[in-house]
Amino acid sequence: MLRVPHDAEDLLQEVFVQIWHQADRYSEDRGSPEAWIMNITRSRAIDKLRSKRRMEKSFVLTDDPARAESTENVESSAAESETKLTVNSALANLPEVQRRVLELAYFDGLSQTEIADRLKEPLGTVKTRMRSGIQRLRDMLGMKVA
Amino acid sequence: MATEHERWQEQSEIFALGALDGQELKDFEAHLASGCAICEAYLRETRETLNLLHRSLQPMTPSATVKNRVIQHIAGEKIAPIRAPRPKESRRWQRMTGTIAACIIGIVLSGTYYHYRYEPRHTVYSSVIELLRDPATRDHTLYGTGPTPTAKGRFLWNESGEGHIFVSDLPAAPQGKMYAVWTIAQQSAPRYVGIVETNPEGRGGLHIKVAKSNRPAEVFAVTLEPLGTTTAPSGPMVLVSKQS
Repeated sequence: MLRVPHDAEDLLQEVFVQIWHQADRYSEDRGSPEAWIMNITRSRAIDKLRSKRRMEKSFVLTDDPARAESTENVESSAAESETKLTVNSALANLPEVQRRVLELAYFDGLSQTEIADRLKEPLGTVKTRMRSGIQRLRDMLGMKVA
Repeated sequence: MATEHERWQEQSEIFALGALDGQELKDFEAHLASGCAICEAYLRETRETLNLLHRSLQPMTPSATVKNRVIQHIAGEKIAPIRAPRPKESRRWQRMTGTIAACIIGIVLSGTYYHYRYEPRHTVYSSVIELLRDPATRDHTLYGTGPTPTAKGRFLWNESGEGHIFVSDLPAAPQGKMYAVWTIAQQSAPRYVGIVETNPEGRGGLHIKVAKSNRPAEVFAVTLEPLGTTTAPSGPMVLVSKQS
């Protein structure tokens, strides 16, 4: 999401420290531990992105969010690799317009209004695309990922 | 015909994505704060799906300095419960070892906790979501009556024999009593489908799976019964749906 390894490492450190401090705030009502940690991470990443955007007025969105960068890859287990393939396949099977709005929201942290502005599309269209995309993902990932 | 919850569920998907904003965000947060169990379940399910998206990214190994920075940060903190009983822990490696051990124990405990506490609840939430996905599922409001006029509830029911009841503001059943749940078809005796229990806050729920009936249920009710009552209701009705 952050695209800069150094920023990602800073974020990783902040997240670990936050989890250490706030472990008692975890509640199973809000999801699995992994989901809780992911929400913290994503939330902080989005804060950083928005802060960066405020500073960089000439922000240019890349089409491929950090996906192509693979300098030092961690070794993945077979199960993780399979999950990754499944998720990538699900994303690839989404219509381009749906995938685009999901990526702008999930990876770039844009709100529905910001996405509508960026794509110059009506807000209602953006909402419909988001919801259709999520529902298709639920159908595809719900069946294939345990 | 769109139900009230279809609108909230539409917004919950965009909320889970983190993209809801403006007045819609405020309205949805207020709705969640009101304690809507259906939206909480739907939101949680959507978040679990969206949280898989990060796995589409190429993982990268952070530099070794990150681990050291994290451990130094944590090990340098004054945590009374750890330091007080161990005054001799002045050497850094001892503090680091303790920190790492605590992390490992935390991970193990989290995993254990997840499996024993989260999995069963997750299964229930998933079942509710499956019910909601089925267009044949009906959503009935339950109204307090008799001794509990302020009680509230919802009854999701599918004629396949599966359903889920949510209740709120229903005080715990007195000693020796239970809240029995019934479905009632036209010209048929009430059918017992289970017992719903409430927590100290008066909230409770029950997932129902019974054999399919030939006659569609038209009324849904909860009565206060002596323990063991399953054949026919005899006690006061505490919640009932309006006849559809």
